[in-house]
Amino acid sequence: MTGLGAVTALGSHVADTWAALLAGKCGIRPLTLFDPSAYRTQTAAQIDDIPDAFIDPARRRRMSRADRLGIAAAREAIEASGLDLGREDPTRIGVILGGGVSGLMDSEANYALMLAGKRPRPSRFLNHQPDAITDRLSEYFGLRGIKSTITTACSSSGVSMGYAFDAIRHGMADVVLTGGSDVLARLTYGGFNSLRSVDPDPCRPFDRNRKGLSIGEAAGILVFEEEGRARRRGAPILAEFRGYGVTSDAYHMTAPEPSGKAGARTIAAALASAELNAGDIGYVNAHGTATPANDSAETNAMKLALGEHARKIPVSSTKSMIGHSLCAAGGIEGVISILALRDQVAPPTIHLEDPDPECDLDYVAEGARPVPIRAVLSSSFAFGGNSAVVAFAAYPRGNAA
Amino acid sequence: MTVVVTGLGAVSCIGRNTPAFMRGLLAGESGIRAMTPEERAGGQAESVARIDRWTPQPELAPMKARRIDLGSQYAVVASLEAARQSGFPVSERPDRLGIALGTGSAGSGALTEFTRVLLSESPEAAPPFHFPNTIANAPASQVSIELKFLGPNVTITQKDPSALNAAIYASGCLEDRRADAMIAGGVDEWNGLYSSAMDMMHALRGSRRPSGIVQGEGCFVLFLEREDSATERGASALARLAGYAFAGSPSPPYAYADDDAAAERAMREALERSGAAPSDVDLVMPSANGRAEIDAMERRVLARVVGAKPSVAVKQAIGEMAAAGGAQLVAAVSAIAEGRAATVLVNSFGAGGNFLSAVLRTP
Repeated sequence: MTGLGAVTALGSHVADTWAALLAGKCGIRPLTLFDPSAYRTQTAAQIDDIPDAFIDPARRRRMSRADRLGIAAAREAIEASGLDLGREDPTRIGVILGGGVSGLMDSEANYALMLAGKRPRPSRFLNHQPDAITDRLSEYFGLRGIKSTITTACSSSGVSMGYAFDAIRHGMADVVLTGGSDVLARLTYGGFNSLRSVDPDPCRPFDRNRKGLSIGEAAGILVFEEEGRARRRGAPILAEFRGYGVTSDAYHMTAPEPSGKAGARTIAAALASAELNAGDIGYVNAHGTATPANDSAETNAMKLALGEHARKIPVSSTKSMIGHSLCAAGGIEGVISILALRDQVAPPTIHLEDPDPECDLDYVAEGARPVPIRAVLSSSFAFGGNSAVVAFAAYPRGNAA
Repeated sequence: MTVVVTGLGAVSCIGRNTPAFMRGLLAGESGIRAMTPEERAGGQAESVARIDRWTPQPELAPMKARRIDLGSQYAVVASLEAARQSGFPVSERPDRLGIALGTGSAGSGALTEFTRVLLSESPEAAPPFHFPNTIANAPASQVSIELKFLGPNVTITQKDPSALNAAIYASGCLEDRRADAMIAGGVDEWNGLYSSAMDMMHALRGSRRPSGIVQGEGCFVLFLEREDSATERGASALARLAGYAFAGSPSPPYAYADDDAAAERAMREALERSGAAPSDVDLVMPSANGRAEIDAMERRVLARVVGAKPSVAVKQAIGEMAAAGGAQLVAAVSAIAEGRAATVLVNSFGAGGNFLSAVLRTP
């Protein structure tokens, strides 16, 4: 990884997002993007200020909210990587993102017009598909390499990083922009509410009184680059993507497998792919949605896969601060995991006040904690039993903290 | 590292399984028909290629079928066909089988219905059971639940070539030993609102637009295995996925990039990776989807890269969709397995500047 970019409810860039996360600030607040009064809940980790002033207004008008967030985060990541796109071979630079909601807000507005017997605006349908952001990034930055969008719900951008890793190792690209950008929409807000999975207050992962998730929006973009190439150009190498696990629960469309067996398989696959042992892991950025079912199943999965080490490894759910950004969650949490590795500090889980006896690991509830970290796991579990766990490690190898 | 095909599955508008699909295709049948007034919904598009008399039985019991969306039903039926043909012992090695499907429309039925109620009645009235099926990953996940396998489970959406994209991802999973076998291809379900939106975006062929696509639906999959693993269990290979390549072109999401260089790069790189010379190609499955400028571009580039070769335009039979590349792959493998070709070039080009090519060869 040679560059990171982030836009979240806590900041327009990596630095301000990271500072707010370490300070334990909460980005979950009243939802104003659409009128939430008819929904069961009215809060979200909404982004109020999209740092996209650099995009030409005529072009910006044709983009979705997710495109604008994604381009802003990608621009930050590219700048941080030191890549001069004007001098690179564009056919060797790809875009592989996790996508979901994309331009759905615009489609919803159009559909509302149609249901009212009015004529919709065709241009509002252009960004409906999840792959629109991937095409937009390649268009905006003039890239001509592999393009792909993973649509595995809440694990989408976790899997996308795995695909980016495969694409580089198999010689299909030298550089890949990966991660994801996902935004609020009525469908997802109403959908999780219809399943009674949303907490009306800011979510409290691993707490005995947790009531569900807080939906959010975010963009987290990472520049993946082939090692030899990054070294030759003197790039700032932040960490190494060591490997990933991707598996099916084959259990249920919405419920996680409660014993943790399924999640443990994903974690074990990630460790095997990364050639790491449980004892090498210094921090886990958990999926930690704060639904009653996820947090206990995920805790069980960590105990099964990490054995005696599970109780010693600091684990946190940064969703307690930036919400659950669905298909972008793996990307933004990948960014956060790399920052934890870089700064040797585990960000906290906030709102965890009354620990659940079934969730009995070390969730860093007291505030950010300095810890020695050589390798990190970041977990994403999704509807459909689509699970992905990615592993990052210090670069170069053997660079112990 | 060699990836081979040991099974095929097809649910199409011209046949509910691979033999029926291939019989129809070779007989020149087409599932493209006139739209009903309801399907037209006041638009200019006139044709569609739908699966009209669908039943998920006998593969899915009626009670079970009612709970899963149409795209998932297609995917389960096609995947079962491919898995049975392969003879892979799923129950003995559930963790070694995975799935990768490409789609452009999976979940559209559930999404439009959930959103319709949410917008026209109230968020609280929207039916919760539809929500998990609004996501594109529902078909691949339903297949994993139905066949009870535990390996990789990935869904990809990247315009028309999504199925080829999924096959390429699956091939990487096999090479990296994340799995020994992968079900790979594409699935789509036709949806009235999506069709109207595509028509408004000038994508569909119709009374006012001679150049454009006709939308289809269905599911087409390959059962892919690493050659060593297939040989070890005594499975016979139908064909080998020998090479593939991507080329991108900077383009807005719904525009067709008229980019000869990108198309040529995809074809040449796929051939190079496959070890085949352009002259070895004895059958072409062109992308040819009815968009005049892109079809003309493809003909130009094919003439330059492989010269005049026999070709089968699969989309004239089943329409265009993200899953169509899966149908081209099934047709290519069938041609090789039946001795009608030895090296097949498959092109799958899409809006948004997405160009993919694959080369299949005799095992």
